[in-house]
Amino acid sequence: MGIKVVPRHGKSLKDRLYLPAIAGGMKVTFSHFFKNLKDTSNIKTLNYPEEQPKDITDRYRGVHRLTKREDDSVRCVACFMCATACPADCIFIEATNREDGIDEKMPKKFSIDLLECVFCGGCVEACPCDAIRMDTGIFSFVQKKREDFVVDIDTLLSHEPMKGSKT
Amino acid sequence: MSWTLISIVVFNIVIALVVSLVFVPILVWMERRVAGFIQDRMGPNRCHIGGVRLGGIVQSFADMLKLVFKEDYRPNAVKEKLLFTLSPVIVFITAYLSFMVMPFADDLTVDGKTYIMQALPVDFGLLWILAFTGLGVYGLMLGGWASNNKYSLLGGVRAAAQVISYEAVMGLSLISMLVVYGSIDLGDMVRFQGQLIWGFIPAWGIVIQPVAAILFIVTAFAETNRAPFDIAEGESELVGGFHTEYSAMRFGLFFVGEYIAMGAASAFIVTLFFGGFQIPWLDTVTLKDNIELIFMVMMVIIPIVSYFFAGWMKKNNVWLKADDPRNRETKWLINGLIGINVMIILLLGAFLFFGLGQDGINISVALLQIVTFIVKLLMMNFFFIWVRWTLVRFRYDQLQNLAWKVLLPIAIANIFFTGIFVVLMGV
Repeated sequence: MGIKVVPRHGKSLKDRLYLPAIAGGMKVTFSHFFKNLKDTSNIKTLNYPEEQPKDITDRYRGVHRLTKREDDSVRCVACFMCATACPADCIFIEATNREDGIDEKMPKKFSIDLLECVFCGGCVEACPCDAIRMDTGIFSFVQKKREDFVVDIDTLLSHEPMKGSKT
Repeated sequence: MSWTLISIVVFNIVIALVVSLVFVPILVWMERRVAGFIQDRMGPNRCHIGGVRLGGIVQSFADMLKLVFKEDYRPNAVKEKLLFTLSPVIVFITAYLSFMVMPFADDLTVDGKTYIMQALPVDFGLLWILAFTGLGVYGLMLGGWASNNKYSLLGGVRAAAQVISYEAVMGLSLISMLVVYGSIDLGDMVRFQGQLIWGFIPAWGIVIQPVAAILFIVTAFAETNRAPFDIAEGESELVGGFHTEYSAMRFGLFFVGEYIAMGAASAFIVTLFFGGFQIPWLDTVTLKDNIELIFMVMMVIIPIVSYFFAGWMKKNNVWLKADDPRNRETKWLINGLIGINVMIILLLGAFLFFGLGQDGINISVALLQIVTFIVKLLMMNFFFIWVRWTLVRFRYDQLQNLAWKVLLPIAIANIFFTGIFVVLMGV
């Protein structure tokens, strides 16, 4: 049965004086201060809204958009899978007959309540036709009334994908 | 009641008002910006009036305006209404009065009469300051008790215990200073620090009494409830501490009173230990004899410093949005700086050309000393702010341990050794 000696810190004279440690800490703080004062661009703060965030990647889930086929018709077939998959129940669809003969249905009304949406991407994963995507890169959606946050089908069709994202 | 006397008295009072009250927004600005730069972030720099940001000083004035216009609310649970209202007033008044005896310049001799350059020209400045610093804690205690609130009470109790402990240490460290300086007049103390030891070291307080200097600076932090000794406000522990229940201008008075107390403590430390209004190696007699040389040196140095400052502003004082009014500010400031330079050079040139009478020389020397005092005051305030954002807050038992078991014995030993030294040296 041996005896284990535990090393205790803080007993040397330099530690108990406390002032050398304070001086070391103050040197660190002062070097930060002086570096930032000399050249303010050393500070990593993002001056929003003059500088926009630079780390919006391809997978970032922004505000939704509805995609179109090559002939500019709506890709969505109003199958209601996104509305079923949504955990926040914020997608409201009304279907109607499609005229062009490719599929049977298309949405007459397609609105998303952006105040309820949790931006989980479940609708994108559920859609069988790649009709809804969240790659607009829009992270800031501001309105003055609660009612204006319900985005209708024309706005959703008009959102553009982010620059550089795969179509 | 000659015009000279009246104008000098008014001038002294105006300088004291400016350096204590007008410096409060400047101190708040310094605190927030310096804290930001230390933490690798910008401080507040967006607030502007017509494009003029001045680095964010406008933000301090906006804060003061906000405090004035907020709703002044007194909780119903407060039974002692008079005490509740009185406590921020006490804090403000005692802090403000303790500033009034700081010497800004050496005794000014105009037309043969000598005037003391303090707002209150008393010769017992040290006793006055000790009295009013000690009275300041009554405001905290009353505020904590009258708020009828557990957190405020705890804050007030802790503040009282802390101030009593550190007041004892402060008094004892000042006694060794009294032994060395030999007088309680603050002007005498500053004049003592104009001497040179061994011919080339200025006899500042921190050189002749380093232990008392460290002790006094530590206790000054504790007296003004300033980090790392700010358990009275305890921003993360006690909600707001003693000022939880105060809003609008009552809180504004606490806030302003705390910054004035910090300014007064800085001024006192500068007066006692860092030479007060003395420029190192140039005491009043030397200044008066060499005033022409000093004017010429100033005429060279001020444009050079302004040039580098203008270059720094052009690089750093930019606003990213091009068509914003804030972008024009740098040009205006540089024009203003050039204007000030031209005026100073013309003024100094005129003095050199036409010569100054004895009164003119005395007044210029006094003005130079006032500027030195303000520069040293700002540097000491920066030190206060620097320490606040470096050190962690003390725990209550660690704080009392420090005062009674560590600092008090050191203070007593310091008096002992100082006394022996002074008697042996025959100083």
